[in-house]
Amino acid sequence: MHNITTWLESNTFHHSQFWDLLRLIRRKEALGLTISLCIPTLNEEKTIGKEVVLFKSELQDRYPLLDEIAVIDSGSTDRTLEVASAFGADVYSSADILPEQGFKRGKGENLWKAIYQLTGDIIVYVDADISNIHPRFVYGLVAPLIYRPEVQYVKSFYDRPLALSKEIRSSGGGRVTEILVRPLFSLFFPELTAIIQPLSGEYAVRRQILEKIPFPIGYGVETSHLIDVYTQYGLEAFAQTDLDRRVHRHQEIRDLGKMAFGILQTFIKRLNANGMVVDLPQLTMNLRQFQVRESHYEQIIHEIVEEERPAMQEIEEYQEKFFHLQH
Amino acid sequence: MDGAQEVFRQLARMPGLAAELEPYREMLLANVVMVGEIPAPTFGEEARVGFIKQRFTECGLQSCSSDEVGNGMGIMPGTRGDKTIVVSAHADTPFAANDNHSFTIEPGIISGPGVADNSLGLAVLATLPTVLEGLGIKLQSDLLLLAPTRSLEQGDQQGIRFFLSNSTIPITTGIVVEGCPLGRLHYRSMASLGGMISCHVDRKLCRLSAIEILNSLISQLRQIELCPQTNTALVLGSIRGGATYKLPARTAHLRFQLRSDADDKVNAINRQILNMLDEAAKTKGVSAYLEVIARTRSGGLDGSHPLVIAARKIMHSIGVQAKALIYSSTISPYLEHDIPAVCLGVSNGDNLNYADEYIEIEPMLTGLAQIIGLLLCIDGGDCA
Repeated sequence: MHNITTWLESNTFHHSQFWDLLRLIRRKEALGLTISLCIPTLNEEKTIGKEVVLFKSELQDRYPLLDEIAVIDSGSTDRTLEVASAFGADVYSSADILPEQGFKRGKGENLWKAIYQLTGDIIVYVDADISNIHPRFVYGLVAPLIYRPEVQYVKSFYDRPLALSKEIRSSGGGRVTEILVRPLFSLFFPELTAIIQPLSGEYAVRRQILEKIPFPIGYGVETSHLIDVYTQYGLEAFAQTDLDRRVHRHQEIRDLGKMAFGILQTFIKRLNANGMVVDLPQLTMNLRQFQVRESHYEQIIHEIVEEERPAMQEIEEYQEKFFHLQH
Repeated sequence: MDGAQEVFRQLARMPGLAAELEPYREMLLANVVMVGEIPAPTFGEEARVGFIKQRFTECGLQSCSSDEVGNGMGIMPGTRGDKTIVVSAHADTPFAANDNHSFTIEPGIISGPGVADNSLGLAVLATLPTVLEGLGIKLQSDLLLLAPTRSLEQGDQQGIRFFLSNSTIPITTGIVVEGCPLGRLHYRSMASLGGMISCHVDRKLCRLSAIEILNSLISQLRQIELCPQTNTALVLGSIRGGATYKLPARTAHLRFQLRSDADDKVNAINRQILNMLDEAAKTKGVSAYLEVIARTRSGGLDGSHPLVIAARKIMHSIGVQAKALIYSSTISPYLEHDIPAVCLGVSNGDNLNYADEYIEIEPMLTGLAQIIGLLLCIDGGDCA
């Protein structure tokens, strides 16, 4: 896998390489690029305030890297929108964006609708549940797109060890990545194994790519992006940036099971579309988990249907809003 | 223009100043978070001070640097530069480097360890140059922004003491910034002695528990005559000892603070304590000794000092009621160098030095406004 080695050398960054924000902004302005930040939310009142304050103050007021900071919400019942708005973010309810297309609940839905609602040439997505949020979560991801025109899609990973030695150490993602996604990539898309954390929720992408790829609305959105961009543009379209450490909520193993089930659906769908597996039977959308109640085992059935939104460029309203400007 | 006229002139501007600061609210909040999430235990402040210096550099301050004890500083040169005003906020916190330093911002409050003591004070330092520039304020005096290290507990204000002892720049006036409470106006220092009494028992020679020895000493401490005329007080702050419930404790420690208006009183009680410890150590197998953690001298400004009067008027003009307490150990290093200084708070808060420490957001700009107002008074008039 010569390509992996070369790519890791040339397209893997550490955020500290982009510490010179003045230089970054000058380059951005010279290129005439605009950048939008999308924070998808669902009941994030505890962490959203800090994210908005930090990004607005550091990356709009002090260093004008971001042209737009938007929170796109899936129907929070807490004060997420109130808090985000109070600190200066543009806030949108996902259901109010492209209402003709209906509303589906899921993070992928928010990300997809952001393509229509936001105006930037680059959209950077940052999850709202990061308690150690820092401006590097944005500038570390957009910088490769600004400095390297051939890069289309920049993923985050979090790998900064607290102490460095000359010993070899393993590097990788979370449980679902290492148990499900990387083995699947190893089997079917070996080059994609070079993406150290394929499921990380922070990434920056050029609009011209985002508008061309479909969006699963649930767990599979990150995996589908990687496969779809890879099959069309190759590994060279990607870069990844180490953002050090990310502190966030720990997920229960049962929830990870649901996530894995959704990702697997997305994966199989793409294997089918690419002719990599044939003659699969009709698959059930039910995930079965078990629990014990008074010494009896009982099953819990979760229906998890990984619906997908089409590529945004196919949506008429999007064409009306953007294509007369771009094409 | 004399000092009184300058104070009068600045007072006219004060009521609207907090509103003028509104565009800087997010910047101040962001600085609180970015400073506060960098751990800075006493003697381990390097990363936090590094961030402060980076901010000073970004703001175009001159001589952004650290000294031998790690104090961070930068200078905004004045138009005349014949005076130097120091605004300082201590950089260290009582939290260990591996504690969770994540902050939370809600509509009304910011919470997190050390947010009031003293992330907000440091954030004021980091924000002040941008605010002054944005408001078009050019001071005649040089403004030296200082983040001293080693302030708390065993640090014994080593950072600020080192700076004031070794600075080649004559300092005219000091403003010490603490996160809270708003309304804090400290201008005198009490004589104080912070100490730790340690009792050790050699179990081969003595069957007593070190806790019993310490308990006896505490009883004796409570008998000491404290002299209300000099506001002398003895605070028993923290205690620890022993390793298990099963065995007599080999060691026990008591940390306390003795404070008074009178240096003599502190010295006299100190001698009494040393005598008690000598007496306790006469028991075979027992040792008891005192380790001094921190000391301050009594003194400071009078309530009639022009700096205090100016501070009171500035606070009054923006609806801030100065609190009754006038003593703070932070004044002592300035007092030791005969530099007039006051200590101001920026906002309201609570739970200091606990993980759920918080400050209120709304009063912060008022707190910042009072500091700018006082700076202008000092700069334009004679508050020294």
